[in-house]
Amino acid sequence: MSEIYDKYETVIGLEVHVQLSTASKAFCGDDARFGGDPNTHISTISLGHPGTLPMLNKKQVEYAVRLGLALGSEINQTNNFDRKNYFYADLPKGYQITQDLRPVCVGGSLNIKTEAGEKSIRIHHIHMEEDAGKSIHDMAPRSSWIDLNRAGVPLLEIVTEPDMRSAAEVDAFMTGMRQLVRYLEVSDGNMQEGSMRCDCNVSVRLKGATTYGERCEIKNLNSMRYARQAIKFEVKRQIDLLESGGQVEQQTLNFDPATGVTSPLRSKEDAHDYRYFPEPDLPPVIVSDDHLVQIREHLPPLPWELEKHFQTQLGLSEYDTKILSEEKATGLYFRDLVQHTKNFKGAANLVINKILPYCQEQGISITSYPIGHQHLADFISLIEEGKVSNTIAYQKLLPALVEAPNQAPLALAKQLNLIQSADEDFLTQLVAEVIEANPDKVATYKKGKKGLLGFFMGEVMKRSKGKAEPKSTNALLRKMLDS
Amino acid sequence: MEVATQPKYSQIEQVQRDLREGKLTCVQVVEYYLDRIEASRELNIYIEVYAEEALAKAKAIDERLQENADDLGRLFGVVVSLKDVLCYKDHQVTGGSKILTGFTSMFSATGVERVVEEDAIIIGRVNCDEFAMGSTTENSYYGPTRNAADPSRVPGGSSGGSAVAVQADTCLVSLGTDTGGSVRQPASFCGVVGFKPTYGRISRYGLLAYGSSFDQLGVLAQSVSDTALFLEIMAGPDEFDSTASQRAVEPYASNLSFERKAKIAYFGSALDHPSLDPGVRQVCQGLIDQLRTEGHTVEAVDFDYLDYIIPAYYVLTTAEASSNLSRYDGIRYGYRSANATNLMETYKKSRTEGFGTEVKRRIMLGTFVLSAGYYDAYYTKAQKARKLIQEKTFEIFEAYDFILLPAAPGPAWHLGDNVDDPVAMYLADIFTVQANMVGIPAICLPAGTHPEEGLPVGVQFMANRFQEADLLAFSQKVMDAFPKS
Repeated sequence: MSEIYDKYETVIGLEVHVQLSTASKAFCGDDARFGGDPNTHISTISLGHPGTLPMLNKKQVEYAVRLGLALGSEINQTNNFDRKNYFYADLPKGYQITQDLRPVCVGGSLNIKTEAGEKSIRIHHIHMEEDAGKSIHDMAPRSSWIDLNRAGVPLLEIVTEPDMRSAAEVDAFMTGMRQLVRYLEVSDGNMQEGSMRCDCNVSVRLKGATTYGERCEIKNLNSMRYARQAIKFEVKRQIDLLESGGQVEQQTLNFDPATGVTSPLRSKEDAHDYRYFPEPDLPPVIVSDDHLVQIREHLPPLPWELEKHFQTQLGLSEYDTKILSEEKATGLYFRDLVQHTKNFKGAANLVINKILPYCQEQGISITSYPIGHQHLADFISLIEEGKVSNTIAYQKLLPALVEAPNQAPLALAKQLNLIQSADEDFLTQLVAEVIEANPDKVATYKKGKKGLLGFFMGEVMKRSKGKAEPKSTNALLRKMLDS
Repeated sequence: MEVATQPKYSQIEQVQRDLREGKLTCVQVVEYYLDRIEASRELNIYIEVYAEEALAKAKAIDERLQENADDLGRLFGVVVSLKDVLCYKDHQVTGGSKILTGFTSMFSATGVERVVEEDAIIIGRVNCDEFAMGSTTENSYYGPTRNAADPSRVPGGSSGGSAVAVQADTCLVSLGTDTGGSVRQPASFCGVVGFKPTYGRISRYGLLAYGSSFDQLGVLAQSVSDTALFLEIMAGPDEFDSTASQRAVEPYASNLSFERKAKIAYFGSALDHPSLDPGVRQVCQGLIDQLRTEGHTVEAVDFDYLDYIIPAYYVLTTAEASSNLSRYDGIRYGYRSANATNLMETYKKSRTEGFGTEVKRRIMLGTFVLSAGYYDAYYTKAQKARKLIQEKTFEIFEAYDFILLPAAPGPAWHLGDNVDDPVAMYLADIFTVQANMVGIPAICLPAGTHPEEGLPVGVQFMANRFQEADLLAFSQKVMDAFPKS
């Protein structure tokens, strides 16, 4: 049975909606943040009262340009807006202000990585628009509730070419895009709160075919799990349809997460005629050459730039790199930290195993981690130089430093008596004690069970409270046991 | 029935002088206009009169006048009415439509706000064609307004209420709006001054949108000097309207002298147009002759696009209107049909019952010209025509200061004359629409009386973009030379 499905290739293009994290809405001063009691982030403008006019929030243009530059898009420096006309209860003006003919960004691409390898997903264009409000249909039996807090919040719609071939690639693209918008600080990329959602255009074709099959658009997928489920269902539906001699009809689909089923919302025949025309209330917005340069110069390091730096220049593993570059704050923190130490792997371990979990536990940003970069570098050196054992350093010294971040690690280690000792008298005394306390084990060892050395090491460590310097201890143990 | 009389005050200056000298109180001024409103009730000018409020404000101004007259705003003692498409905070605004019945605006239009800040007194809101769509003020939910010169005649439109409000001396100045002649044509029919500035000179914030790329606030007054002062006060940048011009506002009111000789163009094709009434032609010709006698150059120029103006205008304005009026959907405010049981019915029934015939006609027309498959044939083509008309007009202004045109093809016609023939009605806008297509300032001045009908006839002057100062100064000169008959 699965051979039938294997004959086909899945083709997916996305329309990703990203809600911008501007303080105010796209065309008025209302609070644009998520949440708030229903219908509190509103004004006469977002309610579409008679006589009101849109005023452009220039931040949204800047954010769009930032994203476009990061993706390598061509930036349109003269931006016009258009009206998309349709009636819906949560659309106060009866039209949405959007960009139809000349989107702010054209072209560009985002690289993704999946098990199938690395590939580039081309961007068709990115345009600016405003969000609609929210209709809530399940609160009252015979009426719908409308919350217009979201109405007018600025959005970017990122339209890709049909370059994805699996749900995994869609997942990777969305993850990458989420990471990017967070790096650029243009959106929080939060899918649960609807800051990022996507429509998937799905079609199938026989492998090797050069033309695309008829596509269906699955609307408003607001979680990756739903997107995967919806794509899986839709691909099977289309293949089954084709295999049974039918044809895929171009339509818009809804996905019901409860049943895992896609169902038609409207067919091509009843597609809306949105009657786009130029928005007469907004003059063209010009992004000057200077402004463009300025935006470009202020771009933060991009995820792939940090990844490359960590992997090729610092020689870190792919695993470590991924964790360290997932969030911009972590990436930048790490990039700065390694300015103070040459032990990159040690620094990576420290950040991954200790600093990130600590910050998460405390609910603080990594930039608020109490211990400064230089002290952390010194701390790493203490371990590297064998002054403090790895275990003691992590278990005792680091928590102590967090409490007293202004203390130099070496001084604190000394003060807490955590410095490892290679002092021969000190070690000889300990080793002698251990040998004396374990005559049976010594005998067994002497008969040839050399593996017991570890046991003796452990005993010495215990007695030294972790301070015995391992290398010297090991040498001394061998010497005294073998004598 | 009231017939147009000589107004008690025809200039702000007069009122303010009498107030300052204590010959008059502001309360008396308001009382006078309230009496006039009462006396002209049959003309159906006012939708709502703010009598108590106006008297209270007048009283406060009288007190301030006693204390220190210099602290008063530039419009103290000036009684103003508002066309029912202009928002005035905490007052109703309905666009002359059933669909906005009971709607109270939460803010004032920028123009209104600026006038009120200068201590003008708003006495009421006046009738107009529904959402400013019409040329007679017959398309109003509140019934037609009548021309004070002859109550069997229309006052023109859509700012017909504003024109009659000034004509019948119920206020000193009325604020109207002009999308295709809605200030100038009724001014012509009623024998008052009607002025529309450059597109973007006055903020459109608080103006109920009809054709957003055409709409402008306008002034209807007895005099050019009052018009200039109102423009000076209302014009200028506004953070709430991105299409409002950033250009500095000139002191129009104190710059009303025009010393040089003007170069004026008129279109032979307009004066010879078959639709032009001979009496109107005669008035225009008389004015042209007189201007020449005064030493101005008046020349006929070619303008081949006259016949394209109306079709292009109606395609573009109805397209914009179809979208602008989508917000009147019965959901958030205004009229909602009680007979609807679901969302689609709420839309259909509220809009069917709430809008009048002409508005529905224009919404359908606009929806059609924007629809897939027709957009290029209509909207795109009309935009091209608009561009050509603009270019040709600017070309004329390279050689001429002003363009002279009739304001309307005839004098006021009778009520009901054209209601069944919308196209004939649209064609009557032929001389006024050009200024809106191009976005230039234009003024209609009372130029005489129709030789046969005895009705007022206005003549229109247009100037290049932002040449308001010149246009108003020249208008003042014309008015001085032609005392009102």
